[in-house]
Amino acid sequence: MNPATDALTKQVRKLATQFPDSRSATIPALRLAQEHNDGWLDTECFEWVGEALDLTPAYCQAVASFYDMFHLAPVGRHSIEVCTNLSCALSGAQQVVEAFESELGVAPGETTADGDVTFRAVECLGGCGYATVVAVDHRYRQFVKPEDVPAIVEGVRAG
Amino acid sequence: MPARSMLLAGADERDLTKLSEYRAIGGYEQVPKARAMTPDDLIAELQAANLRGRGGAGFPMGRKASLIDRKSAKPKYLVVNADESEPGAFKDREVMTRVPHRLLEGCLIAAHAIESNDVFIYIRGEYLTEYEILAKAVEDARKAGLFGDVDITLYRGAGAYICGEETALLDSLEGRRGQPRPRPPFPPIQGLYAAPTQINNVCTIATVPSIIELGADRFREIGTPGSPGTVIFSVSGNVEKPGNYELELGTSMRELIYTHAGGIAGGRQLKAVIPGGSSVPALTPRQIDVPLDYDSMGAIGTFFGAASLIVIDDRCCLVQLALRSTKFYMHESCGKCTPCREGTRWMVQILEKIERGDGELSDLDLLGSVGTRILGRSLCALGDFAVYPVASYLEKFRGEFVAHIEQGRCPYGGESSVEGIFAPSDQHTHSTVATVPA
Amino acid sequence: MSSPELVTVTIDGREVQVPKGTGLVETALAAGIEIPVFCYEPRLGPPVGACRMCLVEVEGMPKLQAGCTMTAQDGLKVLTAQTSALAAEGQNGTLEFILVNHPLDCPVCDKGGECPLQDLTFRWGPGSTRMEFEKRTLEKPIPVSPTIALDRERCILCYRCTRYSESVAEDGQLVAQNRGAQSVIATFDDRPYRAPFSGNVLELCPVGALTSTQYRFEARPWEIQNVPTVCGLCPVGCNTAATLREGKVKRIISRNHPEVDEGWLCDKGRFGFTHLYADDRIADPLRRVRLRGLEEISWDDALDEAERLLREADGRIVTALSGSETIEQAYALGRLLRGGLGSHTAVLPEETGPALDAFRLPLSAIRDAELVVVLGDEPVAERAPIVELWLKAARRNGAEVHYAGDALEGCRRLARVKDELGGRLRESDRAILIWSSEEGAGGAHLAALARELGFAERPGCGAFHLPRTANGRGVADAWAASDDGEGETPEAIGLLVVSGDEAAADPNVRALAERAERVLVTSMFQSLAAGWADLVLPGTSYLERDGTYVNLEGRLQRLRRTSIPPAPDELAWIAKLAERFDVAIDPFPSAVFAELSGKIYDGLPFGEVGEQAPLRTRSEAPAPELPEEPPAPKGEGLRLIRYKALFSGPAIERVPELQFQRPEPEVELSGKDAEKRGIASGDRVRVSHDGTSVELRARVSRSLRPGVVRIAAEHAGDLGGNVEVTT
Ligand SMILES: Cc1cc2nc3c(=O)[nH]c(=O)nc-3n(C[C@H](O)[C@H](O)[C@H](O)COP(=O)(O)O)c2cc1C
Ligand code: SF4
Ligand code: FES
Repeated sequence: MNPATDALTKQVRKLATQFPDSRSATIPALRLAQEHNDGWLDTECFEWVGEALDLTPAYCQAVASFYDMFHLAPVGRHSIEVCTNLSCALSGAQQVVEAFESELGVAPGETTADGDVTFRAVECLGGCGYATVVAVDHRYRQFVKPEDVPAIVEGVRAG
Repeated sequence: MPARSMLLAGADERDLTKLSEYRAIGGYEQVPKARAMTPDDLIAELQAANLRGRGGAGFPMGRKASLIDRKSAKPKYLVVNADESEPGAFKDREVMTRVPHRLLEGCLIAAHAIESNDVFIYIRGEYLTEYEILAKAVEDARKAGLFGDVDITLYRGAGAYICGEETALLDSLEGRRGQPRPRPPFPPIQGLYAAPTQINNVCTIATVPSIIELGADRFREIGTPGSPGTVIFSVSGNVEKPGNYELELGTSMRELIYTHAGGIAGGRQLKAVIPGGSSVPALTPRQIDVPLDYDSMGAIGTFFGAASLIVIDDRCCLVQLALRSTKFYMHESCGKCTPCREGTRWMVQILEKIERGDGELSDLDLLGSVGTRILGRSLCALGDFAVYPVASYLEKFRGEFVAHIEQGRCPYGGESSVEGIFAPSDQHTHSTVATVPA
Repeated sequence: MSSPELVTVTIDGREVQVPKGTGLVETALAAGIEIPVFCYEPRLGPPVGACRMCLVEVEGMPKLQAGCTMTAQDGLKVLTAQTSALAAEGQNGTLEFILVNHPLDCPVCDKGGECPLQDLTFRWGPGSTRMEFEKRTLEKPIPVSPTIALDRERCILCYRCTRYSESVAEDGQLVAQNRGAQSVIATFDDRPYRAPFSGNVLELCPVGALTSTQYRFEARPWEIQNVPTVCGLCPVGCNTAATLREGKVKRIISRNHPEVDEGWLCDKGRFGFTHLYADDRIADPLRRVRLRGLEEISWDDALDEAERLLREADGRIVTALSGSETIEQAYALGRLLRGGLGSHTAVLPEETGPALDAFRLPLSAIRDAELVVVLGDEPVAERAPIVELWLKAARRNGAEVHYAGDALEGCRRLARVKDELGGRLRESDRAILIWSSEEGAGGAHLAALARELGFAERPGCGAFHLPRTANGRGVADAWAASDDGEGETPEAIGLLVVSGDEAAADPNVRALAERAERVLVTSMFQSLAAGWADLVLPGTSYLERDGTYVNLEGRLQRLRRTSIPPAPDELAWIAKLAERFDVAIDPFPSAVFAELSGKIYDGLPFGEVGEQAPLRTRSEAPAPELPEEPPAPKGEGLRLIRYKALFSGPAIERVPELQFQRPEPEVELSGKDAEKRGIASGDRVRVSHDGTSVELRARVSRSLRPGVVRIAAEHAGDLGGNVEVTT
């Protein structure tokens, strides 16, 4: 879907009025554009956000490229993100990573050939006491063990 | 010391995400009480309570409020730091999902103290469920007319650890790349939109209603004189019962690990504890008979930090852990200042070499020296955070580094608990320029 | 204003007194001590403390501090690397980190020899490297635009260039992308950095990361000379230096005049110099043969021919001036044509006058103003680019900047006693008026308004008229002063003398030529002269002349010959030609200036014009009148503003690297007018007036007011007056 619709532009302009400075709406606007552009930001998204907020597309691209949750290349329909930071690592995150690798057939950072799932290793998700934490389409699964992986993948693919 | 609830009080018995439930236990009653006080009196009360910031640095919250330039013609802002991204920390999340209204109540009181009508809560982008719960709470409380002249706006981050640093947070909230600002000017004088701004951690603000309820004098009776109150400790790693534990400050670390968290998992041996989130110097098993408070932790050369203990058992190769930790800080360095941007990357390269077994003894000196050249010289503390833990491993577990060098391989022989742990910095991420190597 | 409180700061044991709040870098400098910096550059706004080169030890602070972010407070005691081993170690550390991934390709780097990174490494850096890993390699150089190349390996991420783009030029085009060690400087989607002031990043970059494509591999610092001069391409007159190698201009750099340009140049002034080497540059006199052809002739023949044309015209000579001649050139021409031949008629592309001399202020006063009103709809940047940067600086400083729309109408409105904005202009102690329109009687109307608002009595208030020509005022004054005689404009023009390229390219001058029996053209470029000139004498560029210019502030500035022109300059042959009419003209600008200065510049000697010229004091002038005629009847449609684009004109057309900056074939509309017509940015539209029409691309502009449209003259065809825009 193309984010450059009037309705979305209106939404962004309204967002802008919620802040003392409309620039603050940059991140919410980029998020909105990404949600309506198959999960990633292309140059048109930057042009559109820039136009809506009176910023340059270069500025929008500069902001987006700073944050991990903005994607600058196509992604799969679903995302699976495994935390591999210290607490999860100490609790066996690497085995979980490997289980996903073999289940999905892709390495971290890659998308399955059918475009279904983008698999990533991520930094600490703030669930260290419930390791290993896996964010499936941004919802946390906690205490994930390698043996849970096939069911998770199956659920994602079905969803 | 037994568990003592203050922040989480009532949450085990009731669903405090519901406004009605929270009000049923006296929720929001401290707001009119605080608003009946003058801002000066309220700040005096907060100062008397000596509530130390829970975000990491432990700066007294009331003193911070007293620094706000309230005479400024500009609006004043209260910003709540809910970016919680320090590895090992998950306490703010507990507050937001279980007692969101207590946080909002604290916001309203703190806002009154600094004469602010605008509160922003900056919540890390990954916290989606947390955001939804908090957003619902804001909506309910607003509808119930509890906010008065104050408005509370939630702002979602987009994935950058550095945005937990308070000035980077402000830049991010202003819609920019979240990079720290030089100080001076300090936020109480020139913060958000160049206006006077108070920034506090979620747990700091969520403690405020209890101070009004108890009064500063009674609040100070809890915890230790230098560190009054309770803290939610996040315990993770190799313990039997990882999780959040709200305890009085001054509880012994051994008690927390062995009594509350059930001791080391599988009956294994404790090897080290990183007590404040991954950014602070680690402790050896011999150092854990220490009261968990700001001053005692400082006295043994580490930091109270984010009250987040990462417990490490004897299966862990600390060279691998150091490497993984440093890769995190390299990945999260914002790129603004030279020592942190270049130094963390160099540290990773040296650590990789040692971990591979290709290191020489001189590499240990180099690693230490690179660390020294970052420490205290970067624009914000992220540079320090990268160095503190590694420097402590080097000092306290030097033998392990030497073993890698002398044996030309990891002495754990592939059996370390963090063997081969993958780091996001090693995966192909789509930078805007395809060819920038990590 | 009260004088600032002085505080005492001790640096390396030396006490200095400076105003409280002075930056520590400047404070140290006042004590004769240099704190080395990379990212610190006060012109870019508040310090960012990024590079950590400036680390110093401060008494009472355990850690090293970034000196650039500190300010002078009473009793502050600082030790720099000169006396503190800790600070020296800190700086050594910073340089070590900077060099960890720097390619050290100094031998093939254009910056080598004039590189702050080289210099600071030499003084404070490590002598050898402890870095044994492979350095980062990146694709390089990347073309940031046809004029700028970027080498990301050399970049030290000081963010000077991006801060400039964001907060000085405010074009928001050069940005940092990615995070941490992967951060790079980039443009949007790698598209060209197309903005009027992009070239300033070349001088801001403290390493060889951003380099000029024109200067690439052209010279080494020890084989060049920098000749100070001023830019002659617009009425601002930025102070510049031309870098020469073997007599050829290789680049133009700024020579910061804090009152005029603050060290910024526009891209026209910076990159436009290669017109000197245009393919059709004329080196020898040319005479018309047959109908359209030109043949080279010797200088002796050319002077004979010129003499013959002048004599045959029998006083019926009209002179078309460009406004880019030096004062000395215009004066000499006047002496010959007016004094020697009694031909007093000259046409200049625009009116000029002394009326605004009573309201003179340096351009930097715009930055310090609290209230600025721009009259006229022409884009300021297109007429006088640097003024636009001063306006942006004013806005950043908190000034209110108003655009009053139509200049004449605005002028009358503001003069009314009851007008609200006019009332505030009457009250303010720091108010500025700027006239950005073709109309206006050479500033006379503006002067009338300024007088009406009481600016004459308030030294902090001033008014600027933005002329079209670089030295129109100087040329007009010099021509006027060259003789006392008066004469009628001839009915039939015997000879049209066309002085300079701008005049030669002017359609009005071409129309005059149609009515002239003979045409003598002075021009640098053959294609400008071919087809209509009977005799062509080679012209020179502002970079090849010695002399003086008067800029839009009324500042007299010195132009220097930076390189030798391929032919004798105008003054030389005018002097020779004048001999034949018994008019004595000195071929040396200094002597010509001396004569003229006695008449109109209070006898100021040539040598005292100065490398960094002061602004002459305000002087009284006869009181002009406010524009009287009632507002032009509104009529149907949208008022067309045809403006001369910054990147246009004979010189710029001959600079290949600047072609991407030429104005787009587009019409600018206000949001309101666009909406009414259902037009969006990018749409193809037809702009029509009275039977003629032009097809253009629409651009909806946030800054344009409803009721007017703007088109660069070169795309406006024959359009004029009011137009209609349709899809
Ligand atoms: C790199 C870095 C990351 C930080 N991350 C957080 C964070 O995630 N949450 C937080 O509350 N404070 C964080 N801080 C501390 C904040 O800068 C700031 O001190 C704190 O929010 C102040 O609140 P407090 O006084 O209530 O603790 C971080 C600091 C640094 C240097
Ligand atoms: S390109 Fe030059 S000016 Fe820009 S950040 Fe890099 S080193 Fe600094
Ligand atoms: S000059 Fe001070 S940090 Fe760059």
